[in-house]
Amino acid sequence: MARTGERNKGPIRVGVLFSETGVTSTIGRSQLQGTLLAIDEVNAAGGVGGREIVPVICDAQSNPARYALLAEHLITDQKVNVIFGCYMSSSRKAVLPVIEKWNKLLFYPTLYEGFEFSNNIIYTGAAPNQNSVQLAEFMTANFGARVYLIGSDYIYPYESNRIMGDLVLQRPDSEKLAERYVPLDAGLADFDAIMEDVRAQRPDFIFSTVVGDSTASLYRAYAQAGFDPRTMPIASLTTSEAEISQMGWDVAAGHYTSAPYFQSIDSDSNRGCLARLRQRFGSECVPNLCWEAAYFQLHMFANALRDSGDDDIAQIMPHLLGSEFDAPQGRVRIDPSNHHTCLFPRIGRAEATGQFTIVREARRPVHPDPYLVTHSLGDWTAKLHEQR
Amino acid sequence: MLRVAVLHPDDTDGRQLTQQLQRIGCQVQAFWPPMPTLPEGTDVVFLAVQPEISQLEFAWAKAENPPTCIAVVNYENPTIVETVLRLGAKAVLPAPVRSFGLLSALVIARTVNDEIQGHARRIRKLESKLTGVRRIAEAKGILMRTRNVTEEQAYDLIRDQAMSKRVTTEDIAAAIINANDILSMGAPRVEGAGGLN
Repeated sequence: MARTGERNKGPIRVGVLFSETGVTSTIGRSQLQGTLLAIDEVNAAGGVGGREIVPVICDAQSNPARYALLAEHLITDQKVNVIFGCYMSSSRKAVLPVIEKWNKLLFYPTLYEGFEFSNNIIYTGAAPNQNSVQLAEFMTANFGARVYLIGSDYIYPYESNRIMGDLVLQRPDSEKLAERYVPLDAGLADFDAIMEDVRAQRPDFIFSTVVGDSTASLYRAYAQAGFDPRTMPIASLTTSEAEISQMGWDVAAGHYTSAPYFQSIDSDSNRGCLARLRQRFGSECVPNLCWEAAYFQLHMFANALRDSGDDDIAQIMPHLLGSEFDAPQGRVRIDPSNHHTCLFPRIGRAEATGQFTIVREARRPVHPDPYLVTHSLGDWTAKLHEQR
Repeated sequence: MLRVAVLHPDDTDGRQLTQQLQRIGCQVQAFWPPMPTLPEGTDVVFLAVQPEISQLEFAWAKAENPPTCIAVVNYENPTIVETVLRLGAKAVLPAPVRSFGLLSALVIARTVNDEIQGHARRIRKLESKLTGVRRIAEAKGILMRTRNVTEEQAYDLIRDQAMSKRVTTEDIAAAIINANDILSMGAPRVEGAGGLN
């Protein structure tokens, strides 16, 4: 580290900005734990060139305005150059202008609806071509193309539903039966009228973009209505092991989720990572796709920092772009042209054990295409392989 | 002085927008949430096109001579882009709002809006002119058939009537067509000049 001088000898302070409370706190806490586990691992292995990584943790309470305030606080008062954080698009949009104003770096470990690029953000969750396209392909091929869309009332569901609708409608005999939105804090009763409508319309499958705590209410309302996942399952991009643990395993069984990561991935790297997580946090953490992204992005940051010796964005960015890492999901890579990540799309079916059976899996990483330049079903680069 | 309505939350962007508009000499009123009607005589609307208003309809955006609309956006996905188009925005200002660029966006949007309204007026005028020409041709045909005159004589008849009654030739033509319709009630309809009657 000699070339970077005296000021780069002490510990490296990084901002960690997730929601430990509020409607998206289940995922937020898991993302925090993924981040902290990776920091522990880096520090246990001697830090970055002998320097320890020290997290400065703030709780944004699932509130976009608070995300913006805390990002400003982390940068101006805590003097961090890098922040790991955000879940809902509204939180990322709130932090983005702050990050750009101070020319700092944000790592965003969450799938989102795409149509964004910032020089100051590294996106490690799935873009729509890495989850929506595969899910549309799988659901329409196996269940039919009459879809019923249900989402939380904000931008990610609007846009994701639009993308899913466009994809499904490429099929013959396809139909978008309805597009319904519920508040972010929706309870069981908010789904009553929707379930009655589902009963009347009999879709081939339901596409859910409900996020946070209200996810459990949707799946419970479905179960109470007596519907059968074998003939009319719910398909989602956000219903992970964490949401399933909230709703009850039996309620989730039989429904499908498209994600680059499931706990059930059969690899040494994944099993090892899960074992270390349990050792560190016990069973309170429920690993999921956003947890995994939070985990591997911290390691990618540490590796890049090892090369650059400085966490200033101008110094570290060239070492991040194009870098690769053996993540629990497989070997991921940050695409230099759009700052999103090459990932391994998978389709999982929830089981009564609280785990997903992976029924489709990409053998090669799929390049991120945040602006959906290519967005047709049957695109060979997005093809998944059947798991046996 | 340009009368500008700023429909934007009262946050950093909203204040930046209002202040810069005042600096460049506009008379600004700010509102949020957006209301269905605008203050009388509003020339320009800056509208924050945020996800939560993407379903709203604004009557003023569909009026015959709408105020110039400039969209302020912080998402660039198809849902928001479609809303911007639906509202008939003539320019887009990205958020976070910077003072630089606002003046140019305002000038371009005003010019585009004026041009579109000018074109619309011209098209309306041309359409009515075209209708008039068609009417005169039809009235001439009626006169040629019923009075056995040439086309030139038929036109002279129409023009003389218009001059003596101090109305346009189009008005006379319309009156002739109406009268003919009424007089030929019940009679078999005959198309074109020089028919069988």
